[in-house]
Amino acid sequence: LAGPPSPPGQDPHGWRVPVDCVRANELCAAEPSCSSRYRTLRQCLAGRDRNTMLANKECQTALEVLQESPLYDCRCKRGMKKELQCLQIYWSIHLGLTEGEEFYEASPYEPVTSRLSDIFRLASIFSGMDPAANSKSNHCLDAAKACNLNDNCKRLRSGYISTCSKEISATEHCSRRKCHKALRQFFDRVPSEYTYRLLFCSCKDQACAERRRQTIVPSCSYEDKEKPNCLDLRNTCRTDHLCRSRLADFHTNCQASFQSLTSCPGDNYQACLGSYAGLIAGFDVTPNYVDASTASITISPWCSCRGSGNLEEECEKFLRDFTENPCLRNAIQAFGNGTDVNLSP
Amino acid sequence: AAFGLYFPRKEYSENVYIDQPAGTPLLRIHALRDSHGEVAHFHLCQNLIVSRARSHENNWFQIREKTGLLYLSQSLDREDFNMLSVGNWMSLSKVMLYVFLSSHPFQEKECDSATRTTVFLSLINATAPACSSLTARQLCFTEMDLSFHIKENKPPGTFHQLQLPSVHNLCQNLSISYKLLAAEGMPFRYNENTTGVSVTQRLDREERERYELIAKCTVREGFREMQVEVPFLVNVLDEDDSPPFLPNGTDAADAVVEFNRKEGTVLATLTVYDADTTPIYPLESSRKKYTGTIITDDPWISETFRVEHIFDEIHFSPNGSQVRGTQHEYKLVLNKSISVTEHRSFQLDVLVNDTEFHGPERSVMLHFNVSILPVSIQFPNMTYQFTVNRNAERFAQIGKICIENCMKFRGVNITYKLLSPNASCYPVSILQGREDKYGSLYVNDSSVLRRPECKEIQYTIQATDRQSRKHTKTLLTLVLEGTLLKKEEDCPDSCAVSKHHAECEECGGLGVLTGRCQWRRGSGKGITTNYSTCTPSIKTCPDGICDVIESRDPAVCPQDCTSGNIIGGHGKGTGNLGIKSGHGICYCFPRQNCYCEKDDIKEQLCDDVCKTVI
Repeated sequence: LAGPPSPPGQDPHGWRVPVDCVRANELCAAEPSCSSRYRTLRQCLAGRDRNTMLANKECQTALEVLQESPLYDCRCKRGMKKELQCLQIYWSIHLGLTEGEEFYEASPYEPVTSRLSDIFRLASIFSGMDPAANSKSNHCLDAAKACNLNDNCKRLRSGYISTCSKEISATEHCSRRKCHKALRQFFDRVPSEYTYRLLFCSCKDQACAERRRQTIVPSCSYEDKEKPNCLDLRNTCRTDHLCRSRLADFHTNCQASFQSLTSCPGDNYQACLGSYAGLIAGFDVTPNYVDASTASITISPWCSCRGSGNLEEECEKFLRDFTENPCLRNAIQAFGNGTDVNLSP
Repeated sequence: AAFGLYFPRKEYSENVYIDQPAGTPLLRIHALRDSHGEVAHFHLCQNLIVSRARSHENNWFQIREKTGLLYLSQSLDREDFNMLSVGNWMSLSKVMLYVFLSSHPFQEKECDSATRTTVFLSLINATAPACSSLTARQLCFTEMDLSFHIKENKPPGTFHQLQLPSVHNLCQNLSISYKLLAAEGMPFRYNENTTGVSVTQRLDREERERYELIAKCTVREGFREMQVEVPFLVNVLDEDDSPPFLPNGTDAADAVVEFNRKEGTVLATLTVYDADTTPIYPLESSRKKYTGTIITDDPWISETFRVEHIFDEIHFSPNGSQVRGTQHEYKLVLNKSISVTEHRSFQLDVLVNDTEFHGPERSVMLHFNVSILPVSIQFPNMTYQFTVNRNAERFAQIGKICIENCMKFRGVNITYKLLSPNASCYPVSILQGREDKYGSLYVNDSSVLRRPECKEIQYTIQATDRQSRKHTKTLLTLVLEGTLLKKEEDCPDSCAVSKHHAECEECGGLGVLTGRCQWRRGSGKGITTNYSTCTPSIKTCPDGICDVIESRDPAVCPQDCTSGNIIGGHGKGTGNLGIKSGHGICYCFPRQNCYCEKDDIKEQLCDDVCKTVI
C-alpha cells in the first residue's frame, strides 16, 4: 500500500514512505549496527529511572542512530497481520520517550485517507434491496437485514451475539473476555459499510434507537456491576498495547478541533468513525450509546468521574471527549444522514 | 510530600511562525507558592520533543528565569521548520517543551524536576499573519481553555496573564483590553495594568471547590469594536486538612453470628465521614492512607475477623455550593467459618486512622459488640412420615430432610445419612447437592416397592455437622400405598420423549411418583418459560434447576439438565443447561436433541360423519 497523498504544504524532502513496524524491525535486524542500537535503546527505556538512563552516552548514541532508521517513523495498520507484534514494536520505542503520562497520545496507526463518501457509494449498491426507503423505515433494522444478506457479516454477527448472550452461571452473566474477542473479530473482519450501518444508523423512534444501542450486546460487552473511575479505566487500557493504541487512535482522529468546519481533525469523518469502531471492538474502554434517546446522541464508556479527587478536571476532560464531542457527534450524524463534507479538490 | 511551588495549569499553547524575529515573546507562565517568601525560578529543558518520539536540541526557545516569559531566542527559518517537521504527517506540526520550576536558581542541565508544565508550540508553515487577518477570538485568547487549579490553604498570588505576549508584540496598533467578570465577593482580582489575574486569599476547598468566571476581551481598531467572552474556570485542589468524624456520633454496632457462620460474611458496618476527597484511583494508596485496624491481643480474634474498608464520594453543601467529601465504610467480616459450638461475646475495637491529616483528631475508635451464639443440630420434634406410591419409578423424589433452621445455615456443612434398616425392604436413598442444606429422599430401587411384604418401613436418619462431628437422629416412616398398575408396553424410559398430552399421561418413566407422567400445559404465547411439556413431576421438573437427583440420569428431566442441542425457538438455562424457555411444546430424546415447536397438527376430532356407521 502506498503512503497517503501528501497534504498540501507538506515539505517534500522531509517525507519518508512509511514502513510498518514489523517490516521496519526486519530491516533493522538485518543491519548489525541498527539491531544492536535497538537492543541498547530498549534496555535504556526499560529502566526505572528513564531520564538518567537516557542521559547515558550509550543511550543517546543509540537514540541518534535509530532516529535515522525506519523504526523511528514506523506505524501499524488496523487489522493487519501481526497487528499486535507491530504495536509492541511501536510502543517499545515510543512508550519510553513520550513518558506515557500525556493526556493525548499519538496514534500508532496510519492515517485514514478514505472518506465517508466511499462508504456511501458502496452502501447504495445494496440499499436497493431495502423494501422501503420512505420516512417510516427503521435504518437500524435495514442495517441488520443488509448484514444478514451477507454471509461474512451474518456469520460474524451471529458469532458475537451468541457468544455475548451465553449465560455461564447464575452469578456470571456471560464471558466478557470472549464477547470482546468476538466483537473485535466482527469489527476487524467485516467491511465498514456493514458495521457502520449497524453502529451509526439514524433513528426517528425509540425502538430504532434501542436496537442501535443493543448492537454491541451492551449487557455483556459494556455494562458492569459497578462504574469504575474513568482515569482508572484509562490506566488499565494503557497497560494493554492494543487498547492503548486504539484509544490513542480515537484521540488522534476524533479530538474536537476549532480549526475545522466539522470540528474533526482534517474534516475527516471516516477516520473518526473508524477509530470509534476500533475502540468498540472489545476492551474496557468500549464506548456505547448511553440511552435509547432519539433527540440527542450521548456516548460514553462505562465509567464515571466519581472519586477522582484532585484529578476531577482531568477525568472530566477525558469523559467529555466521548460525551460532549462535537466531532464524534457530527461524524455519527453525517453518516446517518448520508452526508459527507464537500471537499474542494 | 511537601508541595513547594507549583504551576496553576498543566499545559500552555502558542503558535510560532516562520521568520519571527529573535526576541519575540511567546507566552507567560506563572507559578504559585506553597509558603510565603518562596521565589520561583523557571527553567527550560534543552530538549524539544518533536511530534512522536523524536526529539531535537532546542536552539530557538528560552525562558526568563525570574518572570516565566517564554520567547524566541533565535528566529525559526524555513530550514529549521523543515527539520522539525520531519516525520510529521499533518501539515501542522507541534513541538513540546517542558518547563521546570524550582525555588532556587537552576544548575546546568537540570531536566528532571518533578514540578513541570508542558508547552505545546504549533509551528505554522507561514510568516506571522497580519493583525487585520486575525479574528477577535484569536487576538484575545489561545485555543486552550482558560482553566486553572489552585491549591487550598496556600498564600495568594498571580496565576495568569490575560494579555497574549505574542499578539501584544505583533499588533501594537490595536487596543486590546480585558475584564474579568466575577460575582461579588469572589477571591480573585484583575489588575488592569499588567492584565494579571491573582487570587487574593487562601482558598478552602471544603467551602467551595469551583469558581466559574468570565473573561471578557474588547478589541478596538479605530471606530470598530469587537468583544469576546470565554469561561474562566478555577478548580481548588484538595489537601488532607479535615479529620474523620462520625455521622450522628454513632461509633458502635451489634454484630451477631448465628446461622450464618461462613467465611466472608459481613456482620456489621460502621461509617466514618471525612470532608476531604479520597481518590479511588489509584485505589491501593488511598486504602493505605485511611486505615482500619482491629485492636486486640487475642490471636483468635485476629484470625477470625477482618475489617474491610470501602469508600465512596458523597456531596455536602456548606454554603449553597456543592462540595465533594468521602464516606468510609468499615465492615466487620468473618475471616473463617465459625464452628457451631462456638459461644462467646466481646467488644471488638477498630481504630480508624486518617494518616495524612496532621491534627490531633486524626483517628476515631469504632466498637463492634460481637455475640457468637451456638446453634444446635437437631431435627424438629416430629418424626418424618412419607407415603410412597407403589408405582413410583427410580429417581422419584419423595421429600426433603432438613434439620431445624437448615435453610438459614451458611458455612455449616450438614450431611444426611440413612442408617440401613434390618429389614430387606430398602427402596430409598438420600442425596445431597454440594452446597445443599437439605437432603433429598428418592426411590433408588423401585422393584422393592412392588414387593407385597414391604408395607411400612422404618429408617433412622442421621444428620452430622462435618466440622464439629455433632450429630442428631430421627425416625422416618415410609408407607407404601396404591395398587400396582399394569405397565403399558412401548413406553419410553423418559417422560420428556412424549410430545402429546394423551401419550404423556398413558405412560410412566424415570422419576414418576404415581406410575404416570404428568402433562404441563403451557401458556402457548411465544417463547415462554411456561412451555408445554411432559414431565415425571410438575413440582420438580422443569423448574429451571438441574437438581442432584435429576442429574443422576439424563432421562429423568432433560428439560432442566440437557446440554445437547435444542431445536426450535428456545432460551437456554443457566450454565447452558436445560431449556429455560421454549416455543410451544418442548420434548427431548435423552442424550440427544431436544425440540421446541408449535403443535400444528390438531388432534382429529370425530365429527358427525365419522360417527356414522355405514
